[in-house]
Amino acid sequence: MSAESVRERTPRDLPRGMSEKTEDMVPIEDRSGSTACCGEVRFVRTTCPYCGTGCGVILKVEGGRLTRTLPDREHPVSRGTLCVKGWSAHEFVASPDRLTQPLLRDGDSFRPIPWDEAIALAAGKLRETADRHGPDAVGGLSSAKCTNEENYLFQRLIRAAFRTNNVDHCARLCHAPTTVAMVQTLGSGAMTNSIADLAGADFILVIGSNAAESHPVLMGEIYKAIDRGARLVVVDPRRTAVAENAAEHLRIRPGSDIPLLNGMMRHLVDAKLYDEAFIRERTEAFPEFLEYLKGWTVEGAARETGIPTEKIREIAEGYARAPQAAVVYCMGITQHACGTANVIAVCDLAMLCGQVGKEFSGIYPLRGQNNVQGACDMGALPNVFPGYQAVSDPTLRAKFAQAWGVAELTDRPGLTVTEMISQAGKGIRALYIMAENPMLSDPDVTHVMHSLKKLDFLIVQDIFLTETARLAHLVLPGACFAEKTGTFTNTERRFQLLRRAVAPPGEALDDFAILCRLSRALDVPVPYDTPAAAMEEIAALCPAYGGIRHSRLEKAGLQWPCPHLDHPGTRFLHQGRFSRGLGHFVRPDHTPPQEMPDREYPFYLSTGRMFAHYHTGTMTRRSPFLNREKEGAYAEIHPEDAARLTVGPGDMIRISTRRGSIVTAAVLTTRVAPGTVFVPFHFAEARANVLTNPVLDPVSKIPEFKVCAARVEKEAVDGKP
Amino acid sequence: MSELIHTIREKSQELLAAGRVDGILCLVRDRFDVVQPRLIFRAEEIGSIETSPKWNLAKLALQTIRQSGPSFRLAVVCRGCDERALLELAKRNQFDATRITVLGYTCSREQAESCLCVRPYPEKPLAGEKIEGVDPFADPRVSALLTGDEGKRMARWAGLLSRCIKCYGCRNACPICVCTPCKLEDDLWVERAVVPTELIPYHLIRAFHLSDTCVACGACQDACPVGIPLLTLQLLMRRRLQERYAYEAGLEADRKSPLLMDFDHASPAGFELPAWTVSSEAPHER
Repeated sequence: MSAESVRERTPRDLPRGMSEKTEDMVPIEDRSGSTACCGEVRFVRTTCPYCGTGCGVILKVEGGRLTRTLPDREHPVSRGTLCVKGWSAHEFVASPDRLTQPLLRDGDSFRPIPWDEAIALAAGKLRETADRHGPDAVGGLSSAKCTNEENYLFQRLIRAAFRTNNVDHCARLCHAPTTVAMVQTLGSGAMTNSIADLAGADFILVIGSNAAESHPVLMGEIYKAIDRGARLVVVDPRRTAVAENAAEHLRIRPGSDIPLLNGMMRHLVDAKLYDEAFIRERTEAFPEFLEYLKGWTVEGAARETGIPTEKIREIAEGYARAPQAAVVYCMGITQHACGTANVIAVCDLAMLCGQVGKEFSGIYPLRGQNNVQGACDMGALPNVFPGYQAVSDPTLRAKFAQAWGVAELTDRPGLTVTEMISQAGKGIRALYIMAENPMLSDPDVTHVMHSLKKLDFLIVQDIFLTETARLAHLVLPGACFAEKTGTFTNTERRFQLLRRAVAPPGEALDDFAILCRLSRALDVPVPYDTPAAAMEEIAALCPAYGGIRHSRLEKAGLQWPCPHLDHPGTRFLHQGRFSRGLGHFVRPDHTPPQEMPDREYPFYLSTGRMFAHYHTGTMTRRSPFLNREKEGAYAEIHPEDAARLTVGPGDMIRISTRRGSIVTAAVLTTRVAPGTVFVPFHFAEARANVLTNPVLDPVSKIPEFKVCAARVEKEAVDGKP
Repeated sequence: MSELIHTIREKSQELLAAGRVDGILCLVRDRFDVVQPRLIFRAEEIGSIETSPKWNLAKLALQTIRQSGPSFRLAVVCRGCDERALLELAKRNQFDATRITVLGYTCSREQAESCLCVRPYPEKPLAGEKIEGVDPFADPRVSALLTGDEGKRMARWAGLLSRCIKCYGCRNACPICVCTPCKLEDDLWVERAVVPTELIPYHLIRAFHLSDTCVACGACQDACPVGIPLLTLQLLMRRRLQERYAYEAGLEADRKSPLLMDFDHASPAGFELPAWTVSSEAPHER
């Protein structure tokens, strides 16, 4: 309604003299056909569907529709605050684009089919593939957007129905190195402390995380620490929003994190600033590690990172001397061909200085998705059952086989996300993808599309017809966070309840129900129908979650490990003893980025996120308020480079790598260093992952999203350059 | 159970039973010991009414009134700040205030201190004893932000404001922020897609735009994920208004804002202000 129409309609309502001020405050509307009561209004406490911070949201439901999202002032993590995505969490739920019926491919389009037919077809095709091509011809991509119970049922179905371990999910693309490296060094692949602990740290080193945009509410805890007098040092090739607010921003050359961390550690060893007692009592393999560090120098680190030697020494000493020092890291550390070694170096630094195993300090890998921690915990990984129990252990296999009502389970490790996609049409003949969008999220998406098209049968279960679902033979309509119950586990290992506020649209079903039906159609018994009952099965099989019950999560959730029903949960890990016993110093062997700028492709290309959008944009781009903030694709380029290329703000530029090219709008900013271009990966019309290099970290199989070589040209418009 | 809550529950019971209100907007403690807002329609639910933590309900009250039929009457269990927000909204002709009954309660010394509240009570509280408010400018959290030379103050504020991640929480939580379109969204001042926001366009425009309406409830600051002292910004505006015009938003029902000066000192005409603006309950007549 415009201010004018208001004025015309209701002039008598406006007190004299108030019109100047009140014109933009829309006065009362008369509602005709009034009822005495305003109808059903409910407030449903639940958990935000976006990032791994796991904020508490309250959904306002009016007449069966979500109308608002409010912050939960009683929530243990977010305490009455939300970021812009959280405040808008209800907006995509009722989008007209939601899938409402199972869809079967019919030539180039889809036609709706009934659920019974869809389930029978899915089960039949998967079974037929396994029978014809062997169990490992079937694969499943589970989802960090779905609940713990759904992830649990998903891997249970794949493992029990087909005797394969081909199950993985997008953690492969974000924190696979964290789980591998932290298990190797400390024994547990999760954030060591709690989000609120950050507020108590005296020195916070943020490497490769733009928490201010990607984990905004968690960033608030870092500001609390700063307000208490803590020092924030940020290491990042970009001048991110975190860097803007740091005491010190060190602009590191992309992919040189290990030289920096090793240089810091070498200085601490030379200056005898490391924690000798901690190393003696709590760790092993330190002598060998010392020997290894002799091969590194501060000067060498300065050469490789572009950070002056005195700064390297200064931040090393700041970290070591602080009573409580925390390291926060994210994709800037993990998304490299040496991602695992990068995380190892972070763990080594923490152990060297004794800054782990106590409150406030510790190692803080920030998990990206709302439930990526949980999807890992629930065994949606090709080498472990739920609770990180190895598939190679015959006793564990027998335990799970018995619980799942099947004769046996296989010990053959399965394929990862990236391997399943590259094997599509070859070793993998049928793929079941639940709520993942590899057509935007995986590296070199042109290759992904060619691979997925080679599959005999592709099932995609999602809430929207995503770029990936468009390639499917069968599309199953699932439910979003507001339409189901279950649990999410946030980045601080906190199991939190998800509560159903509205019904899924049309015939869409909650994913748990779909998985129950599909399991039974594949002769895998599921002796329950509710997520709460599934959690009891999970608790019985996984010692670390033994005390988790939905009924115990109502007030504030529980942080694992929580081994029994009286256990209060664990605020920080490794107290007195590391999960693996002694902390293990491992050599972080450095591999430089696999593709460096050269004459032909002179720019560094890096990818990431921006504050108003989330990952592949399926939800945020359908939220009017978020989409308003940024509607279209863009790339950040330094003004000096732009001037050289005669590119002005908003001009279209073509970015090319050896994989492909995209055309997008230029944003001129000094956030990026000269010679660097940054592309957010939210936008389907200019997919950053057309460009990225699919080279993998050999240990964790994470792709090197963060660095590759690119060429930037001004795009000709109507034949005019 | 405190006497304060007892009184509120009793009054709520009475209003619902007598059919004098159709619903009660309040905080409740659920069976899992968690407090959250709720719209109550039945007497059975009254036993769970709570008064803490601080949780501003004025905006929810406004939405409820706007979205219900014209004869729906609502009671709001709230603190002084919420009552002032409701009065301010009524003065700004945002809803038919005769449909609202305020069940106001006073705040404790501790609560007043934590909120930096000048007036930790509704005008005529239903429950609790009025205590004296605090002088926010004597509080070190505020004074620390306002001392030192201009350069230092500017650097301090710029540092704090540059934390802004544009969650729009201050705007969303503010009971008075109900403009359509919002000044932050009219594309005149605030650049889209950029964080941190520029200091002046986002924060200072918001502060000025609320200069004569802000009731200092602090909902903006409570909703800020990054700890920007937004209340202090508003307190400065409020102090100026008080010094200049002896005017305070949310207080005098029949006096309009001096910033709306039209050389006519008659009281606002054209709509009637409800009785609860000076008493705790509207005289509902059927």
